[in-house]
Amino acid sequence: MTSLLNDLIDNNESEQFGILDEYSKREIRRAVLTAVAVPGYQVPFGSREMPVARGWGSGGLQITLAVIGHNDVIKVIDQGDDQGVNAVNLRRLIVQSTKVSETTTAAKSSIVQSRHRIPEDGLDQRHILVLQVPVPEPLRGVERDMRELARMHAEADYSKMWVSLYEDKVRNGVITQTTGYPCLVNDRYVIATTPIPRWDIPKLDHSPFLTLFGAGREKRIYAVPPFTKVEPLTFEDVPFEVEKTEGATCSQCGSNSSFLVEIPGAQSRWVCSDTDWCERNLEGNL
Amino acid sequence: MTSVVSPEWVLKVEQLGKIFGSLSENGLALTGPDIGSSKDPVTGAIVAAWDVSFEVAAGEALGVVGESGSGKSTVMRCIAGDQSSSAGSVQIRTSPNEQIDVLSLTPSERRQLRIDKIAVVYQDPAEGLDLNVTAGGNIASPLTAAGWRNFSSIRSRASELLLRTEVPLNRMDDVVKSFSGGMKQRVQLAKALANRPPIVLLDEPTTGLDASVAAGVLDLIRGLLEEFGLAAVVVSHDFSVIEMLTNRCIVMNHGRVVESALTDQLLEDPHHPYSQKLVSAARA
Amino acid sequence: MSHTINNAEHVVLDVRNLRKHFVLHTIDSRIVEALNGVSLKVSAGEHVALAGTSGAGKSSLLKSIYRTYKPTSGEVFLKLDDDSFVDLISLTDSELATLRGTQIGYVSQFLRAQPRRSTFEIVTKAGIQRGMDSDTAKQAAAYSLQRLNLDEALWDVSASMLSGGEKQRVNLAAGTISPPRLLLLDEPVSALDPVNRESALELIGTLTDQGVAVLAVFHDIDAMERLASRVIVLRNGVVDYEGSPKETLERLEGVAR
Repeated sequence: MTSLLNDLIDNNESEQFGILDEYSKREIRRAVLTAVAVPGYQVPFGSREMPVARGWGSGGLQITLAVIGHNDVIKVIDQGDDQGVNAVNLRRLIVQSTKVSETTTAAKSSIVQSRHRIPEDGLDQRHILVLQVPVPEPLRGVERDMRELARMHAEADYSKMWVSLYEDKVRNGVITQTTGYPCLVNDRYVIATTPIPRWDIPKLDHSPFLTLFGAGREKRIYAVPPFTKVEPLTFEDVPFEVEKTEGATCSQCGSNSSFLVEIPGAQSRWVCSDTDWCERNLEGNL
Repeated sequence: MTSVVSPEWVLKVEQLGKIFGSLSENGLALTGPDIGSSKDPVTGAIVAAWDVSFEVAAGEALGVVGESGSGKSTVMRCIAGDQSSSAGSVQIRTSPNEQIDVLSLTPSERRQLRIDKIAVVYQDPAEGLDLNVTAGGNIASPLTAAGWRNFSSIRSRASELLLRTEVPLNRMDDVVKSFSGGMKQRVQLAKALANRPPIVLLDEPTTGLDASVAAGVLDLIRGLLEEFGLAAVVVSHDFSVIEMLTNRCIVMNHGRVVESALTDQLLEDPHHPYSQKLVSAARA
Repeated sequence: MSHTINNAEHVVLDVRNLRKHFVLHTIDSRIVEALNGVSLKVSAGEHVALAGTSGAGKSSLLKSIYRTYKPTSGEVFLKLDDDSFVDLISLTDSELATLRGTQIGYVSQFLRAQPRRSTFEIVTKAGIQRGMDSDTAKQAAAYSLQRLNLDEALWDVSASMLSGGEKQRVNLAAGTISPPRLLLLDEPVSALDPVNRESALELIGTLTDQGVAVLAVFHDIDAMERLASRVIVLRNGVVDYEGSPKETLERLEGVAR
């Protein structure tokens, strides 16, 4: 493995390809390989200082910069929107420093960096999906002690998590977690899916694409390799439900089968979260 | 002469010992009930327990009596795995052919035992319960650890246990912090029995409770021990507890066992000077 | 009452030179002697009464056989199911505890460790402990309690709420349900009024018919006369005299109580 990583280091580039130096990229790649080898396991890595503040996608950015190559095409979204302020900034940073091509259409990309959504369509085995994660630890709500957390994951002792799901259901009638729903990966590790809504979780199960999760502030990387089992944690007799508002349709394209977000205002208005998909739907271009 | 066949042991403790610190060469001879101290005068090490041996069969309850500092709680914690031990062995039989050498297991394997083989009821309910979780939720914990994944089955089993331990069902979804001391102990019992463990360790289960409340809890424990045929070790300084729950017991003083007897015999005909002191003080 | 011959074949209990003394460490380690070498035999179907002044060692003897007192020396042989004998003193605590449940019964005036359990449950439980199945035990419990005139209304009541006489009858019912090979009775009717006493004595009387070996202490001469085929008089921790009730009474009449 080491020799291959060494081979990837390009000492001949007069200009650094991207903001990260080659050795930083190597370390991130090593962490990514470990993560892919042990699906769902949170791999610690030396998180570098990035030109974006912590909490604004520095982890995802580092992964993208480590895996991106000259022939990649990048799509960056924030809340499903390519034109969100953060998405725009990150994309500009990546493109300017690496000179790779960009697109808003998932099917035309090879790497998608995202905060809070998986594109509605277009991802297949050519793709790497990089998700920006604020809190990588799924058990943070039930346990604070670092050593205990490490033990719980090491021994697959998730009973505290199950108890909190039980309590949730008892208190609220349903399991209420919206973002960050805990999932069991490859029947072994529980992960936080903090960036994505419940709606997108089924997309992870046996997906053809590779998903990498990066948490810059917490310094962790984890992965869901292609065609890996991902199950949202729930009781046998409590079905996992995705978000759905009865009667809501996109006020732009009329869809009721995509993930919709509400626009605040005097009257309730809904639009597709995935802006690119919405446009194509409107044009009849799906 | 034919021997009488008594039931086979489910828990066997042999020469269990726990020393804090490092003992001097003669440390063992310099400590103990005859000396009147557990502390090694040379190094300051504490011989919290030494050379403790006993067996418990299914359906039997063994008492471990002594004052605080006697080592009785240390012995319990060593068996439970809350404390590492310095010497001796602890074996459990989970089936006629299966024997486990508990002390040779990894900490992780020992934690597995705590799910459905060895249950512990602590003096302080806060040690055995998550006070911020509901009564039902506390019971859900060992169940989910044992692989239960069906919400209504979990609820059903939890209700069954709470009913059996006489906790009002309308409090099943109340957070345990709001319960009285006696009620907390009942929830602890329900939780301990969730996965039907063969062995239960009880450490001063009613100390700190009002006399009338304690009587009810003790009665409940006695009923449960009989009904489920548990092998129990009851640690207490209180003879009324020992009398109520056990038919055999050992007396500990300064870390050593000074006497071992049938419970009624210990209460009416104690032999060791320390036992006599304890019993007469209790009678007073 | 049948006067059973003390036939070696039927001997169930064989006490040999039993000694018991207490060392009171809390009081300058003084020694108190309770039994100074008692030997006796009890056969199946025999009711042997122990007599003597208080302090003579009657209760101590029963307790030493049951091992509530740990004898200092001597042997206490009990016949087992396979007709072999075992020395109770040599058994481990566990082994003795096992025997107590099934082979040896002990009824005193006190209901030990008063549980909240109901009267009926206590007696049923005793039967189950002796090997009866649940239904049989329940039937036997009902029968015993009825025989002892314990009002059905009290059957579901917690035993701790009963009067002294009622408790004693519960004790007796529990002690005699599926009677064990050897039954030790220590003043089992002392707190009963005449009517209830009568029923109790009648019940005890049937035990020997069932082949139980009974060793009993009664302060009541009348009960002794009525039930026992043999009386053993203890004095200062040894057997002073042994004979039929009539003989013994005549002898005792001459001695101040």
